[in-house]
Amino acid sequence: MSMIEFHDVQKYYGHFHALHDINLEIDEGETVVLIGPSGSGKSTLVRTVNGLESIQKGQLIVNGHDLSDPKTNLNILRSDVGMVFQHFNLYKNKDVLENIMLAPRIVSHIPEEENKKQAMELLEMVGLEKWAHNMPSQISGGQKQRVAIARTLAMKPKLILYDEPTSALDPEMIDDVLQVIKKVTSESGMTSLIVTHEMGFAKEVANRVIFMDQGQIVEDDDSSTFFKQPKTVRAQQFLSKIISH
Amino acid sequence: MKKKFWLFPLLVCILMLTGCGKSLSDQSVLKNVKQSNTITWGVKGDVKLFGLIDVRDGQQKGFDVDMAKAITKHILGPKGRAEFVTTTSQSRVPLLKNGNVDAVIATMTITPERKKVISFSNSYFDAGQSLLVPKSSKIKSIKDLAGKTVIGVVGSNSVDNVRKVAPKAKIIELQDYAQAMNALKSGQGDALTTDNGILFGLAVQNPSYEVRGGTFTVEPYGVAVNKGQTGFTKAVDKAVLEMQHSGEYNRLIKKWFGDVPGFNYKELYRR
Amino acid sequence: MINIFTKFSSQLLVGLGWTVLSSVIALFFSLIIGTVFAILEVLPNKVARVIGRAYVEILRNIPLLVITMFFYLVIPKYVIKIDGFTAGTIGLTLYTSAFIAETIRSGIQSVSGGQMEGARSTGMTYWQAMRYIILPQAFKIVIPPLGNQFVNLVKNSSVLAFVAGFDLMYQANSIASTTFDTINSYLVVGILYLIITMPLSYYMQHLEKKLA
Repeated sequence: MSMIEFHDVQKYYGHFHALHDINLEIDEGETVVLIGPSGSGKSTLVRTVNGLESIQKGQLIVNGHDLSDPKTNLNILRSDVGMVFQHFNLYKNKDVLENIMLAPRIVSHIPEEENKKQAMELLEMVGLEKWAHNMPSQISGGQKQRVAIARTLAMKPKLILYDEPTSALDPEMIDDVLQVIKKVTSESGMTSLIVTHEMGFAKEVANRVIFMDQGQIVEDDDSSTFFKQPKTVRAQQFLSKIISH
Repeated sequence: MKKKFWLFPLLVCILMLTGCGKSLSDQSVLKNVKQSNTITWGVKGDVKLFGLIDVRDGQQKGFDVDMAKAITKHILGPKGRAEFVTTTSQSRVPLLKNGNVDAVIATMTITPERKKVISFSNSYFDAGQSLLVPKSSKIKSIKDLAGKTVIGVVGSNSVDNVRKVAPKAKIIELQDYAQAMNALKSGQGDALTTDNGILFGLAVQNPSYEVRGGTFTVEPYGVAVNKGQTGFTKAVDKAVLEMQHSGEYNRLIKKWFGDVPGFNYKELYRR
Repeated sequence: MINIFTKFSSQLLVGLGWTVLSSVIALFFSLIIGTVFAILEVLPNKVARVIGRAYVEILRNIPLLVITMFFYLVIPKYVIKIDGFTAGTIGLTLYTSAFIAETIRSGIQSVSGGQMEGARSTGMTYWQAMRYIILPQAFKIVIPPLGNQFVNLVKNSSVLAFVAGFDLMYQANSIASTTFDTINSYLVVGILYLIITMPLSYYMQHLEKKLA
């Protein structure tokens, strides 16, 4: 069964054509990595999936909800679709534990005790149980991103979107975060759509790679094929630049 | 914040010191006005028939203003100049005491309280306090004011008079007669009280209102001057007497009060 | 000055009471109304934004005295009879609410868009995100400018004097006109205003430090 379906989707910012004829199907349980040069539309594409960006033409169905229909309740959709941001977006006025517990409490109405137990388990999973009562301003970027992942998992989503989760991190923090993402994708069987520049990580974690350039999907292949033999010249050039770094 | 706490007492001290300064000049006003050939008068700017600013030319016009002009000529001679400063019931005493004006001729009743701080000439006009009400009002006289709201003007003695005569009336004080009249029109009060001369002026401007109940006080208007200016006070008294003898005074009465309906201006004549 | 204070203490206390009462009422309601219009100004809905903007621009660009006179003279004539204290307090509330709306709006907008996206992506509604995430952060940011507005509000309550609202300024006018001791009368009420505003601004500074 497919989790995400794009049919001839167009996205404009004014006159700028940000997404061009997107046709894409992602099945439940897939881990898909989205790569491409900056400005290629990767982030925009990911952000249309939970309705943070609207689409102007075509049809987009996520977890059975039609996002091209203005009557669709995005809040219901979003409670099943988690998102991890480049800049974490932890709630600055709440401590680490509250960041995780807030949405399950006020969106899913989970009993307080169960909510707290779950939050502590998630913190343990990302290795931050000692930081439960710290404010986001008191922890490092890598720790923040791990809390953000725990916050997303607390809603028990069917799909998680990662929008460049390690791009804003110092190099020594990146690995911890990638380890957590790897653990989440391999253990949970959740669908994941990951925008990243970490090619090693992409190779390791992805079943499938989508290469985008100038608002279009240029290549869509399984991971091993893509990294061994990219079909298009643009993908070859992109990979050679990244790897030579 | 700690640092700022000493500021507060300091501020209070400075305020107290400035509050104790002397403001009255001890020079002779009569001498000064003769030297400058000009008398500066405080007059009303919002009282029809006594002192009202004419919006067309910005000049104050009314009985008080004409009196001031005439008194100036009598004191300084035909070439003497009269200058006018608009005052309110509130500001007229401070302006006089600070020396901003030489004399005040602004519908000001001679009262013992005021005599403690300033001096007055002899009365130049005999008013009496009365009530202005809508024509539909049931208030007939001062006796009907219990439980009613009476509008007065800040700084006028009329409010105190009502407190004495009708202690059960609720009193609100507004800034000037225009505002008091507006408040009456908006139903903020049941009656407006002040001297009948002023009320007649308001009734002329607002035909659906009328003066009721006759006068319940005697309000002799005087020219206010600073304490100790005996020479100037005497000069004013002499000027007013001369005007009464010559018939100039009665001509001014007729000019300003001759057309007020229901007001027998001849009662005000002086010989 | 001490003379005036002792001789007119009951009158001054009455004035102090009305000034404090008017200020407290106006502070409470202007904060609520101001917050509502601040939110209207940042809503995604364009009509709401226009309404919010119009409210703020109209009320903060008309003198307080004009607004107050409107409620004192016009409303009683055509709508409902309200006394000077009520008219003055309504005028003060609406006038201040426009400035508070402006202050809170800038506070909301200075909370980064990522906070809203973070909240919305977990399935919170716009209002839940506002209530739990955006507004608490915005209020913290606007405490110092809000403190200024509150102090201004207390001082502006002297508008009541013009509509016979029995406040401190009204009593000052009345005392000055009976004693003719203008300077000392206003000095006394000036100090009484300081007694209200100084602790208020101290408290706001304290709050700022506590929440920082």
